[in-house]
Amino acid sequence: MSALLRRLAPLPFVLLAASVLVFALPRLTGVDVPRAVLRARTADAVPDPEVQARVAAEFGLNDSAVVQYLRWLGAALRGDLGFSFVTRQPVAEVVGDGLAVSGVLTVLALGLAASIGVPAGVYAASRPGGLLDRGLSAAGIVGVSVPEFVLAPWLVLVLAVGLGVVPAVGWGGPQHVVLPVLTLAAYPGALAAQLVRAETVEVLGRDHVRLARAKGLSPGRVLWRHGARLATTSVTSLSAMVVAGLLGGSVVVEVVFGIPGLGRGLYDAVLAQDLPVIQAATLAVVVVAVSAGAVVEVLALVLDPVARNREESR
Amino acid sequence: MRAWLGGIAAALLLVVAPLALPDPVATDFGAILAPPSAEHLLGTDQVGRDVLARLVVGARLTLGTTLLTVLVTGVVGIAVGLAAGYRAGPVGGLVLRFVDLLAALPIVLFGLLATLVLGPGLGSLLAAVWLVGWTPFARQTYQLTVAEAGREYVEGAVALGAGTARVLGVHVLRNIAPALVAHACLRFAGTLLTVSGLSFLGLGVQPPTPEWGAMVAEGREFVFAAPHLVLAPSLAVVLVAGAATALGRRLG
Amino acid sequence: MGRIGTRAAAACVGALVALVALVALTACGGGAGSTGSTGATGTTQPDAALAVALQFPPRAAYAFDADDGARLMTLGVAETLTTVDDRVQPAPMLATGWEQTADPRTWRFTLREGVTFHDGTPLTADAVVTALSHVAGVTSPPRAIRGIGFRIAADGPGAVLITTAEPDPVVPLRMSSGNLGILAPSAYAAGGQPTVLRTATGPYVLDAVNGTDSAVLVRNDSYWGERAGAATVTVRYVTDPQSRALALQSGDVQFAEGLPGASLDQLRSAGADVVEYPAARTVELLLNQSAPPFADIRVRQAVTAAIDRPVLASQVLGGAAAPASDLFGAAVPWGATSPPSGADVERAKALLAEAGHGPADPLTVRLWTFPNRPEMPVLATAIQSMLGRAGITVDVQVGDYAAREPEILAGRYDMFLNSRSYLSDYADATSTLTSDYTCGGSYNIDQYCSPAYDALIDRLPGITDPAQRQALFAEAARMLTDEVVGVMVVHPLNTAATNGATGFVADPLSAKPVLPGLTRTG
Repeated sequence: MSALLRRLAPLPFVLLAASVLVFALPRLTGVDVPRAVLRARTADAVPDPEVQARVAAEFGLNDSAVVQYLRWLGAALRGDLGFSFVTRQPVAEVVGDGLAVSGVLTVLALGLAASIGVPAGVYAASRPGGLLDRGLSAAGIVGVSVPEFVLAPWLVLVLAVGLGVVPAVGWGGPQHVVLPVLTLAAYPGALAAQLVRAETVEVLGRDHVRLARAKGLSPGRVLWRHGARLATTSVTSLSAMVVAGLLGGSVVVEVVFGIPGLGRGLYDAVLAQDLPVIQAATLAVVVVAVSAGAVVEVLALVLDPVARNREESR
Repeated sequence: MRAWLGGIAAALLLVVAPLALPDPVATDFGAILAPPSAEHLLGTDQVGRDVLARLVVGARLTLGTTLLTVLVTGVVGIAVGLAAGYRAGPVGGLVLRFVDLLAALPIVLFGLLATLVLGPGLGSLLAAVWLVGWTPFARQTYQLTVAEAGREYVEGAVALGAGTARVLGVHVLRNIAPALVAHACLRFAGTLLTVSGLSFLGLGVQPPTPEWGAMVAEGREFVFAAPHLVLAPSLAVVLVAGAATALGRRLG
Repeated sequence: MGRIGTRAAAACVGALVALVALVALTACGGGAGSTGSTGATGTTQPDAALAVALQFPPRAAYAFDADDGARLMTLGVAETLTTVDDRVQPAPMLATGWEQTADPRTWRFTLREGVTFHDGTPLTADAVVTALSHVAGVTSPPRAIRGIGFRIAADGPGAVLITTAEPDPVVPLRMSSGNLGILAPSAYAAGGQPTVLRTATGPYVLDAVNGTDSAVLVRNDSYWGERAGAATVTVRYVTDPQSRALALQSGDVQFAEGLPGASLDQLRSAGADVVEYPAARTVELLLNQSAPPFADIRVRQAVTAAIDRPVLASQVLGGAAAPASDLFGAAVPWGATSPPSGADVERAKALLAEAGHGPADPLTVRLWTFPNRPEMPVLATAIQSMLGRAGITVDVQVGDYAAREPEILAGRYDMFLNSRSYLSDYADATSTLTSDYTCGGSYNIDQYCSPAYDALIDRLPGITDPAQRQALFAEAARMLTDEVVGVMVVHPLNTAATNGATGFVADPLSAKPVLPGLTRTG
């Protein structure tokens, strides 16, 4: 576990850098924050400079950027993430709720993607050129090529309207999770299957595997011990990338299915220049993504003895 | 050989075909959302423009920018991944965490920022995608490099006096190339989807320039009433992605 | 090598097969999608539970100084002193009568008797004073009472006095604004944002809220007026129009609003009752009059002549809008109802030539718009094409509104396609006519300045009679059309549909509650 700690050690520096980035980027867009917040709150087409000035003073936006940053950082370190400019709700609540929802979806989607993608890829690699391989190729290509906002309405039409097995919109029960998870799992699942297949085929062609076969090891055992393990490291590393994308980026799925997740919350906050929410939500996603990356690397060590040797010899 | 010939033929077709097809930006308000017919082989869109013409002309823009993006982000990402993975340890780990950090930042933010600095249009879309698009390559390269660097042949090469650049470029890269290429071909489709998603949000090419991702976004409203609007560019993406994957396997 | 080719081909065929299968399935799915009874037939079930899909979630946790107050009014939860009737004149709600006192700056509102809040406390003058003083004192008060020197005081237990800095004939109309809902004094006791659960007066009680996702309403059995149509209502906020239509089709909800034009036929064939009605909204093409080329009225007239508004409304937008001939349209009694004529490209070319932009010196302009409403980029493209036929080259730029607003307000643009909801907070057009078109207006994007127009608008504060005011609105709109202050393109239509419910009443002004009239059927 010292490996894990070693990897998590740079986390504070990364978070500090991230905090500067998430603080600076929204302000660099040059959009007038009080005006954007008021437009988000009240659909006010007509600007009102007097009210905007009052709002700017209320949010402390007239101070210099450095002062604002230090003030925000100090409060955040004390656990106070402030209040949303638009809704006036505590940011910790907003981000926490969104993270929980998106977290559930992410975990379920990745789980589904891995549990279908990895075995599919391995089996396809064991029978290259066969019917299963070609079928999976086709499904995989479709999975990585169809955008979410095309897949989602069709899934809804088929499963919710046509067959009536799941509700079309809403959130709150297990039945509401089916469609969004299916939509979100399509791309990572197809990606995983493709990558696993490619890696397994490549590994199975290597000398040490051929040697194992020549020594009499059964095909199944060879497949799972050697091919699958190395392939899984590639998949787990990609999972870390996909986690960040799913957590903060599944805006389209959340909008289409009406899910109160972090992706939609962040998107709305960016459009409304709701600075406290943007900063806190992005930092939350960064923390999760970076930690996931570290965990994944350790998983790779567990799975791949060669890498483990190298690690230990250091 | 057949694949190369096919590719050249397709490229020629892309250049020549627009001469035979209707103007992709010519509107026809009398033939709106028309289904495929003899006159419009793939139907028309919401303002009466011929879908096939827009598909063919849009192919140049879409494929060109996607290819360019994959190349640029691939080169940068692989370089970073190789360097960090070979010298893994605290420095390598720090770089990887920064890679994760950059990958975690929402692309909408970058898109809006780019739009302000460069004005709305394809340039700002590309800037946003290039800023973060290299991170998947960096991560995968790092993982693979770490795995490869412990192998005997690398130690052998170093013992024989090979410099770092030679070890990385010749030995390591050659062995991890198949997986990288497979990934790059998959990133092609992924980049297409990212561009489509950003077009969905209003960044990217400006009307009336045709572009596959924007066509899918525009046609989304009519996905049930006039499915050909979404099916045509989606199928095009699927076919291209399939070809890219096949190419990846061929090279891998 | 042959294997690779075969595999790629197989992959392609497989992908095609998968997509075709999906389309075939959806075709079957669409046919089997008719669930439940139609809106009209079937017996009503006043004690059943109702589910609805609304398009705008609360922006700020139901705060009254955000437009969420208007949401609460639409839901049938909160009520205001007055409402509007079909002639866009104030009608009683929590106040039964009103009059200007001897001092013309003060109005006296008589409160309705026997009204209790959802928490059991009675509606008194003090409660009204607490409620309206609170909302007038926040950082950003509702537009209806902003900047008029609003003061309120009780006048005995059953009436309140509202005073403004200047005599104001529309105070009763201002009080109909949804953001001026009256909540029980207990709601304001904690300070900060008032609590909205079980503190209002309307036919429905807000029983539970789930952020921007959903809310649960329960019938108020001690309501002073007509009983609500359902025992409980589950409100789902669904921001995606297509998803709302699908929820209605699948039977998840019995009422949905804001449906995409492309789905209406599908919904009708699935048995839903679909209603399209006017909205107080105009898509306007604003032309920068402060600089060439649009400083010349002939160029503006050429643009008007080149744009075929009936075609835009009926064909490009598929009937989801009505062509506009003035600022207001059919949503209000004083709006123009006769449609504009189609395009006259020859006349456009002639006007352009007269203004010095003939074929030898063609005009090139930029057209800006934003993507937040799906019809805007489509209209921009169509307008680009129409103007192209008249010899004007248009360069379209679609981008985020917030980033561009400073440029537009400063008059550094050529053409801007905007979507304007012209009744900003209460059913009186004065504020829009002032802010958008007077010389000193804060939203005068056209950069229009006409002393005659300003003089016309200056008469409004002195006119109390509603019919006279509405006649002045129409005259102002005519002046804007004559002087070609921008081109009014279309009026988008509102849509709503019921599938298993009845009782929907269309309200173009969006000023009256929608939900209390709905009852489950079948």
